[in-house]
Amino acid sequence: MATLKLFCAKKSGENLLKNLVRPTSIVQSRSHWKDVGQQKENMAWNDIALRAAKASFFTEIMKGFGMTFAQQLKEPATINYPFEKGPLSPRFRGEHALRRYPSGEERCIACKLCEAICPAQAITIEAEPRADGSRRTTRYDIDMTKCIYCGFCQEACPVDAIVEGPNFEYSTETREELLYNKEKLLSNGDKWEVEIAANLQADYLYR
Amino acid sequence: MSKTGILDKLNVFRQIIKDNGGLGKSIYVWYKTDDMKTGDLVGEDKFGNKYYQNNYYFFGRNRWAIYSPEKHLDYDASQIPPEWHRWLQYISDVPPVGDGAPPRAKWMADYYENRTATSKAYVPYSTVKPKIQSWSPNQS
Repeated sequence: MATLKLFCAKKSGENLLKNLVRPTSIVQSRSHWKDVGQQKENMAWNDIALRAAKASFFTEIMKGFGMTFAQQLKEPATINYPFEKGPLSPRFRGEHALRRYPSGEERCIACKLCEAICPAQAITIEAEPRADGSRRTTRYDIDMTKCIYCGFCQEACPVDAIVEGPNFEYSTETREELLYNKEKLLSNGDKWEVEIAANLQADYLYR
Repeated sequence: MSKTGILDKLNVFRQIIKDNGGLGKSIYVWYKTDDMKTGDLVGEDKFGNKYYQNNYYFFGRNRWAIYSPEKHLDYDASQIPPEWHRWLQYISDVPPVGDGAPPRAKWMADYYENRTATSKAYVPYSTVKPKIQSWSPNQS
């Protein structure tokens, strides 16, 4: 305990006390030490400039090269789009399509529920009885520039005729190409029915 | 294939060069797709696009398409037919080959790519008769 107290004593009295006590007790000599704390940097202008130059023209550049090299070896976090594509849900609401029954008969019965529910009023339907007496649409236009892809039309449809398919790669060069008519929607359905049917099948338990 | 370390990366690189059929072909693949990868051929569609999978790459990069050589640099994302679109976009894990191929009805149309900016582009037209007849001054 005595030695500890002596060790903690002020530097000014330390030597004097040491010399007094040394003949009568065993005291560890602490004349040799090593400073491991932060060294005080020389703050002369010349030294500051040298340090800054060394850091910016060598140390930081080397760190940058190291970082670049490390990133080269890392797997990229992006996907290489037209070759790789991101995950999509079977419920994805993309380009519209008018579906057909397995027999090839078109489903739409011109009930106009989709037209009524469409919040953007993008759908226009006109209907009249066909030669065989069944009621079908003569006009089924969707203005894809108005559509907000809310999916209400496919929810409203009682016969699953209008659906939002999984296709989102239908960008066009002109605006008018996005004013779809019935023929275009039916041909979308004929092209995409394979996938639309599979997606509906995958999701039917949750609807 | 192990994952870490510079030597392992070099080994993977060597494997990629080998699987792409030599340095020249690898550089061509890299030029065309901005990427060089190696994976198992899952299938090929009727347009000549080839589909690959390798789970060494993370989800989102582990399935990819190499577009038909006929198209060269005129590849487009819409050239993927619906059957493969479903697999490539991870909606389904079953590729449409063999038993996985979906049933087709007679009335289903052949797939074609987005035809915008070509002569075959869709141009809207009315599907009903006009409701008003315009008057022509030559008629009495």
